[in-house]
Amino acid sequence: MEIKKIKLENMLPRVFINEKIPSSEIWNAGILFERGIHYRIEAASGGGKSSLCAYVFGSRTDYRGTLYFNNTDARDLTIAQWQKIRCRHIAYLPQDLSLFPELTAWENIQLKNRLTGYADDAKIEHWLERIGISARRDYPVGKMSIGQQQRVAIIRSICQPFDFILLDEPVSHLDPVNNRIASEMIEEEAARNGAGIISTSVGNPLLLSNPVTLSL
Amino acid sequence: MNQSLISRLLYKNTSIARIAGFIISNFLGLAIVLGGLQFYLDAKSIWEDDGSFIHSDYLVINKRITSQNTFNGQTSSFSDEDIKELSSQPWVKRQAPFTAADYKIYASIEQTGKGLSTNMFFESIPDSYVDAASSQWGWREGVDEIPVIISKDYLSLYNFGFANSAGLPQMSEGFMSGIPLKLTLRSNDGSRVLQYNGRVAGYSNRLNTILVPQEFMDWSNRELGSGVPQEPSRLIVEVSSPGDVAIKKFLDSKDWEIAGDKSAASASFLLKVVIGIILAIGIVITFLSLFILLLSISLLMEKNREKLHRLLMLGYSLRSVASPYRIIAIGSSVTAMVLAIACTFLLRRYYLDSLAGLGAIPGNPLLTIGTAVLITLIIIFFNLLSIRRKIHTAWRL
Repeated sequence: MEIKKIKLENMLPRVFINEKIPSSEIWNAGILFERGIHYRIEAASGGGKSSLCAYVFGSRTDYRGTLYFNNTDARDLTIAQWQKIRCRHIAYLPQDLSLFPELTAWENIQLKNRLTGYADDAKIEHWLERIGISARRDYPVGKMSIGQQQRVAIIRSICQPFDFILLDEPVSHLDPVNNRIASEMIEEEAARNGAGIISTSVGNPLLLSNPVTLSL
Repeated sequence: MNQSLISRLLYKNTSIARIAGFIISNFLGLAIVLGGLQFYLDAKSIWEDDGSFIHSDYLVINKRITSQNTFNGQTSSFSDEDIKELSSQPWVKRQAPFTAADYKIYASIEQTGKGLSTNMFFESIPDSYVDAASSQWGWREGVDEIPVIISKDYLSLYNFGFANSAGLPQMSEGFMSGIPLKLTLRSNDGSRVLQYNGRVAGYSNRLNTILVPQEFMDWSNRELGSGVPQEPSRLIVEVSSPGDVAIKKFLDSKDWEIAGDKSAASASFLLKVVIGIILAIGIVITFLSLFILLLSISLLMEKNREKLHRLLMLGYSLRSVASPYRIIAIGSSVTAMVLAIACTFLLRRYYLDSLAGLGAIPGNPLLTIGTAVLITLIIIFFNLLSIRRKIHTAWRL
């Protein structure tokens, strides 16, 4: 099942229900994310952007309102359907990166790539080279800087086919040069898949070309 | 490479000591259960011989014969009051009198020219007390072959006492059963005579008598007897548990006794009690070991919960993240089971010869192995269930 659109209807994190929140283009509204379009979500810290990503990726359900993939209510998906979505339809780079510190950069990337069978070794080597961490290929991720870890996580997130890619502050620790490289790599993969990009930021946004900007 | 990466991640924090603790305690519990069970199966045949027609819960009771009885002319028979008092005892399930023949019996065997003939007696108990197929036991008017069950002691007396001295051939149980017995029944006043063929239907260790079917006894007593009702001198009693001390107390107080080989009943009862205690201990240990494994795996999964969640977020199936824990549960349970079975059979080699010397026929080891497999499957089942629940809780943090 290809996901053509992701629709949010009157969604609001439950923790916000009794709070007065500043006006938002996403919470308590109706919004549609479509394939092929790039979205940049700008938010203040604590605005619920990580919550939004967690809801769309199915790791949390503590929201009011409805989230639709095409016309299917996300709450109705089975675990098996979610696992398929995570391998084939939605790529995700969480803010905490969710890397395994005891594994090397290469092992972390392959943990995802072997599951999806998406990229060959040469392609991954090429990505590592391009984003400047090929020298750290066989280092345990736990011993790397946050910026290096972020680059490993970016490569891991594109090691799968996807209809949408969710990036939660993907370049918060990257300099403008690496930010540019990361943006290009992500946009290339998104273009290849005809996918939509949803990227959040609190100040150092991913440098997407012509994004639709939404404020949370 | 992938499953090995997952294993590397998910086996982290595994406590070898805890898993070894499970294997040892499960092995211990299982070995006690299996060893006890197998010993019981191997030993029980000592007291339960297949030729026995009388169930071990049946006791034969008679009054003790003392010289006083003999001189006073007191009878050793049970009066109606005696029977009523016995029936009212809580350990008595049911009881029935032995019926004695009220006529004279003369039996003869013709064999290879040499003959043997003797005076005999008959007794009967209701057919429901005799453990024999109805095709082997029972009698209808008009049939001229009568099945009899004789005491094994009588055959021994003949073979080792009488046959040697009288120059007669010794006879096996099977051979004896094959030769026809000519029975002449004569009323006490000599006025009526009946001829029948007897067939030895079996031998009993526990009945010191010559038993014929109740039907035949009732009919022949009507035909040949004096018509005066006789009080029984022996009773057969079905008891709830042959080892009950209340039985011995009651019988002692009445100066009655249990006839035949009573040590078998109490020994088999003791064996059952002892094995019961051993099995209970083994089951408790096994049960505790189940909890050790449940707790160790739960603890391990709890420690690795964050990693489980991350793997599920990457898109790994529940099955693939559960499999390292399933391998621990199944691997350690099966290891303990194999060790326990091996230990049981090793132990068995040491006692089997001694048991064979006591006349035991080894029991079927399949039942023991089946029990081991069943207990292990139960342990594995509960662990898989717990692993499944834990994985589901890691699905959504």
